[in-house]
Amino acid sequence: MIESPLPAPAKVDDERKKARMGPEAVRIVTDTFKSEGIDLIVTLPEEPTFSLTEAIRKDPYFTAVTVTDESTGIAMCGGSSLGGRSTVFVTGIAGLLVGAWALSQMSIVFGAPFLIMASYRGDFGDRTGIPGSQLALFKRVAEPLLSTLGVPYQIVAEEKKLQKAIVDSHFMCHSYATPVALLLAGEVLW
Amino acid sequence: MNSAESPTKMRRYDCLERLAGWVDEHMLAVTSLSSNTAIWSEVRPNGPNFMGMNMGLCVPFALGLSMAFPGRTVIALDSDGSLMNNTSALLSVGDSRPSNLMIVVMDNQSYARMGPTASARNADLEGIARSSGIERTATIRTHAEFEEYVRPALRQPGPSFFRVVVEAETERLVGNRRRVYGQAMKARFMEAVAAHPDYQKWNERAALAAARQAIADS
Repeated sequence: MIESPLPAPAKVDDERKKARMGPEAVRIVTDTFKSEGIDLIVTLPEEPTFSLTEAIRKDPYFTAVTVTDESTGIAMCGGSSLGGRSTVFVTGIAGLLVGAWALSQMSIVFGAPFLIMASYRGDFGDRTGIPGSQLALFKRVAEPLLSTLGVPYQIVAEEKKLQKAIVDSHFMCHSYATPVALLLAGEVLW
Repeated sequence: MNSAESPTKMRRYDCLERLAGWVDEHMLAVTSLSSNTAIWSEVRPNGPNFMGMNMGLCVPFALGLSMAFPGRTVIALDSDGSLMNNTSALLSVGDSRPSNLMIVVMDNQSYARMGPTASARNADLEGIARSSGIERTATIRTHAEFEEYVRPALRQPGPSFFRVVVEAETERLVGNRRRVYGQAMKARFMEAVAAHPDYQKWNERAALAAARQAIADS
């Protein structure tokens, strides 16, 4: 048997375990949500933000609601935020694409002020094991879509910028009367 | 709780007019972008109404409002075509079970004047709601049933779901465009909810949370 000179390839499962928000980023996010008075978290679980949503679910400060589709989640955030409750929708970038109809209504038509945190699959460094053609789609479509829908966004790839990004985005969504998206990437996720 | 088919269907206007008479000034209502909006704006012109929710978004938007105002009844006035665009929302309601949410679906079994919806054939909207986890449900075909089921449910723990079978309108109804749609409607809604003592502005909420956090940290 000929021995391969190359190192054994990492298993996809190992790569996926790494492609999750780490404990320090989770702490920053939950602490900042608390200091901002954000206590309603709407989510549809996905791997990169799973550690965050699990931490939120276990913390009695938060009300965590798992929805069955992204349009429902986004419209729900619209209702709760216009009712005065500070709300965040935690999802993946694919979820934002699925929820584009609801997002167009909550942004352009009604100006609902809530925060979106989405893992930005397809951005630089993504090793989640998703087929490259899908990642390419996300990278090509997501940012132009958010721009078209009038949803301000920023990509947060460094943990040290996470807290300020949340505070600024929370202020912005109320000040501008619109959903605002934080696209999580880089060392925040992988 | 299905009842026998009534020979003549109820008019949507009559049902919504009755409902408006039972709703107090503290209850919040969300209407789908259908005849519901035009009629509701006429029968309940004031109060916290959020009107004109487009396809599939009426129920989830109302679900969000129910989370913002857990002490108040929130009514989603949806329509069959809109609900069928996003029946997944019923799963989310059945899963989270907000006790203050009532869903009333005005089912004229047609896409306005453009042919029948699936509820005119095989779809069982009440069955979908019940199997999604919403326990208090009914299909309503008479005014007596409407009063029997809907009126008490406004003040009972939910969530509840009522499919109200009504006749299809023969002409398009539109409300006052200056009052019941878009930003003008939103401004009226915000004015109405801001008057509620349990409404809290986001920056006041944030300031309070920061103060609590500072105390906890010290």
